[in-house]
Amino acid sequence: MEEEYLPEYGPKWSDQRAERLLGALVCAVVGLLLAMIITVFVRAWPSFAHNGLSWFGAGGSVEEELNQIYLSGLSGADFVYTFHGWQLIWSTLLITGGAVLIALFCSLFVSVFIVEFAPEWMRNILQPVVRFLASVPSVIYGLLGVLVIVPFIGNHLVTESQKASVAGVISLSGYSLLAAVLILTVMIAPLMVSIFSDGLRSVRPGWLEGSLALGVNRWRTTWKIAVRTARPAIVAGTVLAVARAIGEAVMLAMVSGSVAFAPNPADGVIFIYEPSRPLAPTIVKNIDSLGSPPANATLFAIAAVLLFSAAFFSLTGWAARRAMRKYGATA
Amino acid sequence: MRIKSLAISAIALVALAVPASAGAVTLIGSGSVAAQPVLSALFSTYTKTVNHKVHFVYTANGGNAGVKDVQNGTSQFAGQARTPLPSDAGTTYIKMFLDGLCIDVNPKNKLSDISIQQTHDIYRGLLTSWSQVPGSGLDTTIDPVGRDTNGGTYNFFLQAVLNNELPSSNVNALTADGLVVNAVKQDPSAIGYDGLAWQGKGQKALKVNGVPCQAKKISVEPLKYPLSRYLFLVLPTGVNNPALTKFIDWARRDPVAGEVISKAGGVPAFNKKAKKH
Repeated sequence: MEEEYLPEYGPKWSDQRAERLLGALVCAVVGLLLAMIITVFVRAWPSFAHNGLSWFGAGGSVEEELNQIYLSGLSGADFVYTFHGWQLIWSTLLITGGAVLIALFCSLFVSVFIVEFAPEWMRNILQPVVRFLASVPSVIYGLLGVLVIVPFIGNHLVTESQKASVAGVISLSGYSLLAAVLILTVMIAPLMVSIFSDGLRSVRPGWLEGSLALGVNRWRTTWKIAVRTARPAIVAGTVLAVARAIGEAVMLAMVSGSVAFAPNPADGVIFIYEPSRPLAPTIVKNIDSLGSPPANATLFAIAAVLLFSAAFFSLTGWAARRAMRKYGATA
Repeated sequence: MRIKSLAISAIALVALAVPASAGAVTLIGSGSVAAQPVLSALFSTYTKTVNHKVHFVYTANGGNAGVKDVQNGTSQFAGQARTPLPSDAGTTYIKMFLDGLCIDVNPKNKLSDISIQQTHDIYRGLLTSWSQVPGSGLDTTIDPVGRDTNGGTYNFFLQAVLNNELPSSNVNALTADGLVVNAVKQDPSAIGYDGLAWQGKGQKALKVNGVPCQAKKISVEPLKYPLSRYLFLVLPTGVNNPALTKFIDWARRDPVAGEVISKAGGVPAFNKKAKKH
């Protein structure tokens, strides 16, 4: 028996055990991932096939369309697939985009402060705190939002005349774009800060010292040398944050307002108080209709869009980091 | 060595568990989320006080899914909050207990009585200001809150109040009954709906068509309170399951079961009254 496992040259089987087992494990994980992606897209196909590109377009109320889709599946006669996802997509873009922009701006300055300017004792406190904040489960932020932020916006920021101006169309009761963006920002910023500061810390000290020795002041050195060199890390952190923001479901389902409505910037100030519902919470909210085949396909189509955008962002991030490799820092 | 001892202890555990479960019956159910609090209270009381050998496993996956489970045999019974539909072929519905849906407003709202029609108009976006609802003492915009489509309470509200028309876009659809309570508690111009079990927690239940939302007003036919409903257990037709039948008889008739039902937020429909001590 032993003979079979002894190759003519190279290490014995017993020496290769670990790498073969780990290799098998990796193959299994990759296989599982592929199977998952294929399942999602196959299940989603009927919805895309019936709607074509209009799936992503505007038109009609998503709520009514989802209801029609669900009911058609129960009667079992002719399945209805008509779905226009723009209200959900627009909400996702607004909330994710807003949160990532604000978080990017704040995190950059926070991490520059932590790495370059903060005194030692403060850094020793800030770093573990940031890491801890990055790992807080999102439902906790959701709770804080529902119990504190949403009532505050609804009772103190929104005025009665603003509410009356859109009465019967939407409720400005605090469940809003503002609440969603604020909480999402708080959620993703620590993630960005911790990755940005790792990047800033890995900048070679010689480069900074060289710049300082030439008489360039500290701020300019930080901005022109450290931050520039750390750009791959900044891209990496932003991509991770975008991925987390896009996929966030529970917290947004709690605070965003959960009405399929496309907030309109032309409405003026009340734009930020308008409720909406992004893609991911839509799946959570309609989970009960999975039993109806067309509704099932529609929800899987939403999942496919989310999966695709997550893959797209991680590819873009990878490409951007490759292009920035010449700046010399590692991420 | 360690793996060996782990394996041995695992086997020992299994060996210990087998004799304990000998002769025991496990009843598997699924379905209504609305019925879950009362059903789980009934299950644990039954196992503790009536028959130690009967155990229950209940997955709250929604009434419709529960009935499907019964039809394809994965569940022995299902909890259900709606009346039978033609698609429920091959199942039998048994009325277990009653449940009431209360319409609630913030305590700052002076309103005490609301009609089904007014509620309908508010949730359809036809009445948008409290000034259009006499007696509220408010002139603010109404913030209606409700459940998302996952809720049994949503379906009941849709049938009983909205005549199966969808709520208008100004209704905030929240993911849980508790969040509805919270929203009504925190917003003076809010109105919401939730079950009897949620009452008296910082929100004010309104009379509906003049009848207060109280357990004693929700009784067997005729249902005096307009928003009351039966909760059912759904069984496969023609399957004899003595353990389950005994449990259902106990839950429907026994005075102890009646007390359990009221404590968990339901209204006993058929249980004998407990003797006064």
